[in-house]
Amino acid sequence: MAESKHAEIVVIGAGPGGYAAAFRAADLGKQVILIDKDPTLGGVCLNRGCIPSKALLHISKVMEEASHLSKMGITYGEPQIDLDAIRAHKDKIVFQLNEGIAQMAKARKVEWVKGAATFTSNTELSVKTDVGDIAVSFNKCIVAAGSVSATIPGVPADHPSVLTSRTALDLVDIPERLLVIGGGIIGLELGQVYAALGSKVSVVEFLPNLLPGTDSDLVKPLQRKLKKQFESIQLSSKVTTVTPNKKGTLYVTIENEKGTKKEVFNKVLVSVGRKPNTNLLNIEATGVEVNEHGFINVDVYQRTSEKNIFAIGDIVGNPMLAHKATHEGRVAAEVASGHPAAFDVRAIPSVVYTDPEVAWAGLTETEAKDNGIAYEKGEFPWAASGKAIAMDANQGKTKILFDPENKKVLGVGIVGPGAGDMISEGMLAIEMGADAEDISLTVHPHPTLGETFGMAAEVFEGTITDLYVPKK
Amino acid sequence: MIKEIILPELGEGIDGAEVSEVSVTVGDVVAVDETIMVLESDKASMEIPADVSGTISEILVATGDELKPGHVLMKIETTEKNVEAQVTVHKAQPTEPETKPEEFVLSELKTVFGTTGSSENVFASPGVRRLARELGINLQIIKGSGPKGRITKDDLNGYIKLKMAMSSGLIPAPKQEVDFSKWGDVEIQKLTRIKKITGERLQRAWQSIPHVTQFDEADITDIDAYRKELKIDGAKKGIKVTFLPFLMKAATIVLKERPAFNSSLDHTDQHLVFKNYYHLGIAVDTPNGLTVPVVRNVDKKSIFDLSEDLMDLSTRARDKKLKHNEMKGGTFTISSLGGIGGTGFSPIVNPPEVAIMGVSRSAWKQVFDKESGEFQARFVMPFSLSYDHRVIDGAAAAAFTSRLAAVLSDLSYFKD
Repeated sequence: MAESKHAEIVVIGAGPGGYAAAFRAADLGKQVILIDKDPTLGGVCLNRGCIPSKALLHISKVMEEASHLSKMGITYGEPQIDLDAIRAHKDKIVFQLNEGIAQMAKARKVEWVKGAATFTSNTELSVKTDVGDIAVSFNKCIVAAGSVSATIPGVPADHPSVLTSRTALDLVDIPERLLVIGGGIIGLELGQVYAALGSKVSVVEFLPNLLPGTDSDLVKPLQRKLKKQFESIQLSSKVTTVTPNKKGTLYVTIENEKGTKKEVFNKVLVSVGRKPNTNLLNIEATGVEVNEHGFINVDVYQRTSEKNIFAIGDIVGNPMLAHKATHEGRVAAEVASGHPAAFDVRAIPSVVYTDPEVAWAGLTETEAKDNGIAYEKGEFPWAASGKAIAMDANQGKTKILFDPENKKVLGVGIVGPGAGDMISEGMLAIEMGADAEDISLTVHPHPTLGETFGMAAEVFEGTITDLYVPKK
Repeated sequence: MIKEIILPELGEGIDGAEVSEVSVTVGDVVAVDETIMVLESDKASMEIPADVSGTISEILVATGDELKPGHVLMKIETTEKNVEAQVTVHKAQPTEPETKPEEFVLSELKTVFGTTGSSENVFASPGVRRLARELGINLQIIKGSGPKGRITKDDLNGYIKLKMAMSSGLIPAPKQEVDFSKWGDVEIQKLTRIKKITGERLQRAWQSIPHVTQFDEADITDIDAYRKELKIDGAKKGIKVTFLPFLMKAATIVLKERPAFNSSLDHTDQHLVFKNYYHLGIAVDTPNGLTVPVVRNVDKKSIFDLSEDLMDLSTRARDKKLKHNEMKGGTFTISSLGGIGGTGFSPIVNPPEVAIMGVSRSAWKQVFDKESGEFQARFVMPFSLSYDHRVIDGAAAAAFTSRLAAVLSDLSYFKD
């Protein structure tokens, strides 16, 4: 090999987990090399995930709100959509953040190597770069190689009309009819973007609910809205084949209990989950153990079965969330630098950035019922919140699940605009071990959506004065 | 490279000290162990040595500053490379074997999660959980003192302190507050630092050493008469000759004959360390409390030398001018209450020494003299010897005091 390098700590993958790990290790005085196959830093989250999708969701939300103003006496004309300008706007946001990360890397003297890394042993990597292969040896390695959209049989993965979350965000055109396969977080978010921009969107979900696993009372307000925005929502249904035809459209076969039907769509978005990138790393060259789902096994210190190799983020398991990866990345960096850190969290919050947003943290009612966990609930309907009514958000709700014994917060669920921001208070309550009265005795500002969190605890405590709740 | 010199731990019970002298100025070149400043605590003055060699580039403290361990004293431009600023002044331990810190921590990590799986079901905030990991404390066994039983950082500190106290044999019994004013008028006075330190040490010594006290008396009629002669000579030279130097000489003579009394147990309690030097600690009562300065090489000094040493040390002890080192390294201690009164007492051994002599008030007694068949008036000194029974047997102690009494009654040991 032409060139070789050595690092005290090498990080594979510059997503939110990988760069956090690299930067933390550098801040702890380590000499760090950060490897990523993308031309920019930030990984899927920044380049083709969280951030660009939020840029587009912001647009669709404002469009929705603007059209909603007609109810309040303000009417705009039909929106004029300039797809190139939207794309440029989105790319500008991503670019700005790319630059920010690159500058932070430079300031920390983290060396950035662009290329695809594969293990050659448990102390060495080979990196395929534009200028040839580079050997990178390391004392410690943190694998943060992330995940990629999963594919399904019967659907051609490489056809231009078959989209993944990645290509959907490229926003090549606005298809007249779009089929979203998979009614999970990514499918609903992107479905809503395309619907706002003018596509007729259909969703096919294999399971009987949208956002499978999420409490149905939280999904309901969203589903009600999507029913109006989407052409159809087909639950307990399965797409068996997607066949491109000569007209440039797609024949799609959808199966459910009632039978099989054929429909024609201009594009199909496959959003049936993500799979870890473990297979891209030649992990077999190391002693790192991988489980049957392709995830790398790690302990609470993010250590793999190989003492000097750590792994974090999507590649170690669900939930595949940036904020989980970031925390794990810092833990790995600290442990690898000799500090006694551990991934010791009570909960990881989940947020669906649709309109309305859905967010939850800790125990859900579904989980509690499935596992026979006792809980009590305090719930505040936003229909009783002045702020929510003023914002036309009275479909929302905030609920808190409590431990019946010590009244500590076990879980929080919120649906409504801003739910993703509000869930943080629930997270803090869970981490700090707050109980119902801790929350109800905390002064929340009025009028805000955030005060519904305090009010949910007041409902539980029976001290609420913004609702009448008959005595238990 | 620039290194910071940090104030190390100052020794048991000393949690702060005042700068009495900065011995260097910016630009001075210092060698390792060269004194860079002198600190003064309630009890002693301490010289702070440089831990690395180099040129002083910045001085961050001034005379009169109150400092606590961890304070950055000065910056030094070192010539050595990659020297970790490790200062150990009193704990002069040899350099520790090189352990890879990362491996060490990784193995330590297990203690937190090892048996319990995780900190789940523990009522503690994320910050407290992290501190527990860093300290290697299993939160499951901590009782929280915060609201509703929350474990706080103070609880962790308290736990560590308790552990330390337990390992040093000092188990603080929970004390109940007593309202003394209920029974009459009271006044409250804070203990001086010296009293607190002495108290802790005495308690530790009392609890950790199995004490036995042997009582005896010595006929000092002859040497007391001799002392009065010397006193006149001394007065001419400005030296006050007390009885203490005679006791020191006598004790040293017997210590040389019976080395166990001049020994110490090592830290493992597996070996006796016999010392071939005779440094005697002398208990001195000062207005601030008890201090024990050490007179070095007593066996090589004359009565006059010792008298001079004693005058100097006791004056400085009363003025709090003793250096920390001048209270260290003793091999045997004498506590004399002879000038005050009493017929006998059992002193507490001053560890790591194994024996201490207690002297009470001498008195004239009628003693029967076999040779002449008559009672004679003799000046008799009652004294005691407390000893560590792990090192010294009762028979040896009785032999020691008999021999000491014999030496004290025989003038030939003191006349050159």
